[in-house]
Amino acid sequence: MTTHRTIAFTLNGNPVTVHAGNHQNLVELLQGQGLFGARESCAQGLCGCCTVIVDGQAVSGCLTMATLVDGADVRTIEEPQAGEGGLDAVQQAFIETGAFQCGFCTPGFILMTRQLLDAHPDPTDDEIRHYLAGNLCRCAAYPEIIKAVRLAAKKRGG
Amino acid sequence: MRPFELEQPRSLKSALKLLDAGDESVRVFGGATALMLMMKAGVFQPTRLISLRGIESRYSKATAAKDGSLRIGALTTLSALGRTAAVRRRLPVIAATLRTLSNVRVRNVATLGGHLAHADPHMDLPPVLIALDAQLVTAATAGSRTLPVSGLFTGYYETALARNELIAEVLVPDQTGRRAAYVKLTTRAADDWPTLGIAVSLRTDGRVIEDARFVVSAATEKPLRLASVEALLRGAVVNDALLARAGEAAAAEAELIGDARGSAAYKTELLRVHAGRALRQALAA
Repeated sequence: MTTHRTIAFTLNGNPVTVHAGNHQNLVELLQGQGLFGARESCAQGLCGCCTVIVDGQAVSGCLTMATLVDGADVRTIEEPQAGEGGLDAVQQAFIETGAFQCGFCTPGFILMTRQLLDAHPDPTDDEIRHYLAGNLCRCAAYPEIIKAVRLAAKKRGG
Repeated sequence: MRPFELEQPRSLKSALKLLDAGDESVRVFGGATALMLMMKAGVFQPTRLISLRGIESRYSKATAAKDGSLRIGALTTLSALGRTAAVRRRLPVIAATLRTLSNVRVRNVATLGGHLAHADPHMDLPPVLIALDAQLVTAATAGSRTLPVSGLFTGYYETALARNELIAEVLVPDQTGRRAAYVKLTTRAADDWPTLGIAVSLRTDGRVIEDARFVVSAATEKPLRLASVEALLRGAVVNDALLARAGEAAAAEAELIGDARGSAAYKTELLRVHAGRALRQALAA
């Protein structure tokens, strides 16, 4: 029994094998793979900057033990999308509405918006606000973010 | 965080065996959201952890029984609980409570068993489950036992569970004829930790309250039923005066604790005002 182990998982569609420590979190694991889109900000699971999709579900990377993704399908903001310029409808909507200033929280908002629109293709404002309540934007671009979510829903045909 | 060993047993039995090994610092986890926070803060520095995620899948779902009761596996995530059709239909108070409990990502991994075993008095579901008269089934190598959720909490972050005992299931009895509500009062954001929680379950006959369970949480060391409020309501006819008296009784009985989310006096005033509102919400459910 050791404190480190070799794990194998799928990262943005590609198989990877990594030696990781049980005490590392998923954000640290991704940084080791050269991926910096998931950022540890509040470190408490409150702010959503470290959002990662594991087996189709959004999780806080900062609260996920790295070695627990052994065998999982892990997707991050770096995953290329099918749309124009490698961007999906949600990313395009965020750009078109200017739904960010510094952009630090944007990967988390985009990943959570995709989850939201998968669950509610045509969400009400109340559903948008509840679903994204766990994502914080310190620049307070919230009005534009809500507009971006509505535009993304329209683009996706919700 | 410091390095630690991680065990991933494939069955509840092997998890219990690992717990029995005599190592005092060993702990089990389901979602590990609260555990990660404690480890990051250095409050807890384990040498060995046991993940329960790989044990039998029946502990990860909620099943409705013919008698109207619901059996919820302790590893059921809060998201899965909120999506369960029987929960939405029979226990709308739980579905409503989950909506503002932390956030989507935490609910996707946090489990009901962990939510209870952590015994943080700010948790939202303990007072609700107490109001619903839910029971726990625990497991240990020596055998299992059943105890009411109200009997689990012995103090601030303290439970009646033995070192080698786990929560295996939560049983919620049939709620036919009862109405329930949970009022979560927050002073910062809607999905913040509550300043005060009030859970209520009533059995009524027309305008007469036949039976009441009234629980306060968050501003207390552990969720507490208020006997004076329940006695006042039992057999009483619902009107504005009764609800106001319930608020006075609650404020008189509960010894609330002040913290960063409000002073004891402020929380007591919240309880005085919101006791009646919680009861009205339950009556309208």
